[in-house]
Amino acid sequence: MDITTVDREGKMVLSVNGRVDTSTAPALEQAINKEIDAGKRKILLDFSGVSYISSGGLRVLLATAKKLKTPGDKFGLCSLTPEVLKVLKLAGFTSIFTIYPTEGEALLGW
Amino acid sequence: MAGNDQLTSLSWQPLPEAAGAELYLLIRKIDTISSNSYLIATADALILIDPGGLPEQVDQLSRIITECREKNDRPVFVFLTHAHTDHFIGVQASPAFAHPDAAIFSVQETGAAALERGDGGITQATLLNFSLVPMTIALPLLTRERRQYPRVPVQLAFPNGAEVTITREPAGDGPSALDRETIRFGPGPGFEIYHTPGHSPDSICLRMGSLLFCGDIVFAANPGVAGQVGWSQECLIRSLNGVEALLSSGRIETVCPGHGRVIAAADALRMFAGVRKEALALSNIAELNPDRVAQTAAFAEDSMEQINELFTIMAGRLYYVSWVMDELGESDLAEKMTTLIRGDTVDELMEAFRDFSLEHHRGENNSINLALKAGQVIGKLQRSFDRDELSRIIDPSFVQRAGRLLSDYITMLRGFTPPTEITVQDIRTLTDAMVSGLSIPSCSDDDLLSSPDDDDVFASLLLARIGARPLLEDIEVSVNAGDAQFSGLIDRDVFGDLLMYILEDLVGTMTNRIEIDLKNAGLEILITVSGAVPASNTPGQRKTKRFLPGLCKRAGGRLVQREDGGMLRFEIAVEAAS
Repeated sequence: MDITTVDREGKMVLSVNGRVDTSTAPALEQAINKEIDAGKRKILLDFSGVSYISSGGLRVLLATAKKLKTPGDKFGLCSLTPEVLKVLKLAGFTSIFTIYPTEGEALLGW
Repeated sequence: MAGNDQLTSLSWQPLPEAAGAELYLLIRKIDTISSNSYLIATADALILIDPGGLPEQVDQLSRIITECREKNDRPVFVFLTHAHTDHFIGVQASPAFAHPDAAIFSVQETGAAALERGDGGITQATLLNFSLVPMTIALPLLTRERRQYPRVPVQLAFPNGAEVTITREPAGDGPSALDRETIRFGPGPGFEIYHTPGHSPDSICLRMGSLLFCGDIVFAANPGVAGQVGWSQECLIRSLNGVEALLSSGRIETVCPGHGRVIAAADALRMFAGVRKEALALSNIAELNPDRVAQTAAFAEDSMEQINELFTIMAGRLYYVSWVMDELGESDLAEKMTTLIRGDTVDELMEAFRDFSLEHHRGENNSINLALKAGQVIGKLQRSFDRDELSRIIDPSFVQRAGRLLSDYITMLRGFTPPTEITVQDIRTLTDAMVSGLSIPSCSDDDLLSSPDDDDVFASLLLARIGARPLLEDIEVSVNAGDAQFSGLIDRDVFGDLLMYILEDLVGTMTNRIEIDLKNAGLEILITVSGAVPASNTPGQRKTKRFLPGLCKRAGGRLVQREDGGMLRFEIAVEAAS
C-alpha cells in the first residue's frame, strides 16, 4: 500500500493505493494522524486504488471519524471501488461519514 | 434420509424390545462438526453412544446424565461407534468427563489404541486441526485376545465399581459373517456389538432391542469420506453384507445413524444397497482422490472469499454500533461491541489464507495443502466469534450465513456433500416474506418505547435497533408477479441465502431501486433480480466467479448474471413443480 498526500488549500487529500489490511492499516492511520496532529481538520481519502479493506482498515476509518467530529471538521471518502463500497454500505459506515463519487465533488462542498 | 416417526429427538422414550431400557436421542442436522448422540438408561448403567464433537453438546448430555444419577446412581459408559473426532472430541473440553473415573470409555480395539496414543490420522484430528489429548480406553472391544476364547464370558471390573460381562462369539463363516461379541452391564438389557470396518478400521454397530446404532457406515462411500485414512473398500463391502444380513433377519426395526435422522430398517436396507453400489465403484481409490481434492480446494477459495467479506461486514457493523453507543455516552457498551468478533484474529487468519492461496497459484503448494489450510483457518474462525450474542445485535442472517459457510466447507473437506433438501416451495411467498423482513427494523419504535424502565432490556433493544438495520430500509423494492402461482422445486434455506447475497450485491452498489420479476416459463420459473447501478459502481465479478452459480445449483436452479445499460441483473431459473 502507498499513500500520496496533497494539500488542496488546507483540505488534505490522501490517495491510497493497495490493500488496507492488518499489515497496512497502521500506516494509513499514521498518515492520517500526521495531518490531524499538524492541525488539518479536513481529510478526504481517495480510495480509487483500494480494492480490499479488512476490519482493521474499517477500524482506522472509524477512529478518524471520531477525531474529526467537531463543528467545521470534514472527513469523507471518494472514488470507492465497488468491492470497498459494498463493505462500507453493508457495515453501516455510510451513515458515519459521507462517500463522494469524486474528489472534485467532495471538495466542492467543503 | 428417510425418517422414523416412532422415535423423537431430545426426549426419553422406551427403547423398543429392550425391557426396562429407555432411550434419549440427540439428533443433529447433518454436518461434520458433530455426530448424533444416543443415551440409554437401564437399571444397571447409563450408556452414552457417541458424545459428539461439540463441548456444548457434551455438556447438555452431561446434565441429563447427572439428573439420571441423582435418581438412581449407576456407572456411566461411553461407547464410540468409531474414533473420529466428530463423535467424541467434545468430551475433551467438558469438565464432566475430566476425571478418568467419570465414565468407562469403550471403542473397538484399533480405535482404542489410536485414542490412547493420540493418533491424529485415524481420528482425523490432524485433518481438522484438533489437538488430541491421549485418552484412557478402559474397555476395548472385539480384542484379539478374547477371540481366542469364544463363548467364554469374561467379567471385567473397573476402579469406579462398574462391572461388565463380555462374551466373544465365534467368528462365523460366509460373506455375511461379522465379528461380534455381547456385553452385559447386569441383569438388564445389553448390547450385541458387531465389527463393521470400512469407513474406519474401528467402526462398530451396536444392537440393543430392535435398534441398531450404525455409526457412519451409511456415508462410507460418499466422495471424500471414501479414501480417508483407515478407509477400506474391501472391508466396507464385507461389513455392508453383514449389516444387510442383520437387517434382513427381522430383529431390527430401526437404524440409528451417526448423522441425520433415524431410519426404518426397510429404508436402511435400500440405503445400504446404494452404499454398496457406490462402494463397488470405488476400486483402487486413492486415499485422497486428486479430483476430489481439487474440487475441495476450489470450494475452499470460493468459501473463503465470502467468509472474508461476511466477517468484515459483521466486524464493521459492530464498530458502527460501538460508534453510535459512544456518541450516546454508553462507553461500556461501545467497548463490549468490539469484543464480540476478534477482528485482529480474523484479519490475520484471512491474510494467512490469502498468502497460502497466492502460493498455491504460483505452484508452491498443492491443492490438498490449500484445502487443509482452509480447514485449519475455518476451525479457528469458528472459535473467533460469539454467534448467539452477535445474532442478538446484528442481522442474524450474516451470522447464520457465516456459520453455514464454515460448516459447509468442513462438511466438504470431510467428504460429505453439504446437505440440501429440494422440496416444493411457493417462491412468491418466500420472496415477499424476505423483502418484507429486510425492509422493516427487527426492533420497532414501539418495542423501544415499551421498555424504558428496564435499563438492560432497553440497552439490548437499542443495540439490536442500531446493529440490525434492515438491508432494504432506504431502497424501493417491487416484486412483480401478477396473479400467477410459482411453485418451484428448491432448497428453501439455500435459495434464501442466494437471494440475500444477490440483494446485498445490489444494495452495495448504492442503487435506490430493485425489481424482482417472477415468470412461469414452461417447465421453469424465472426469477430476475435487477437494479439500476449508479455509474462507476458496477461491482466487479467476484474473484471466484463460481460462488453464486454454485450456490444457485445447490438451491436447485441455475444462475446467469448480466450487466446491461446500467442495469445489473441476476437471472435465476428453477424447476417448476408439476
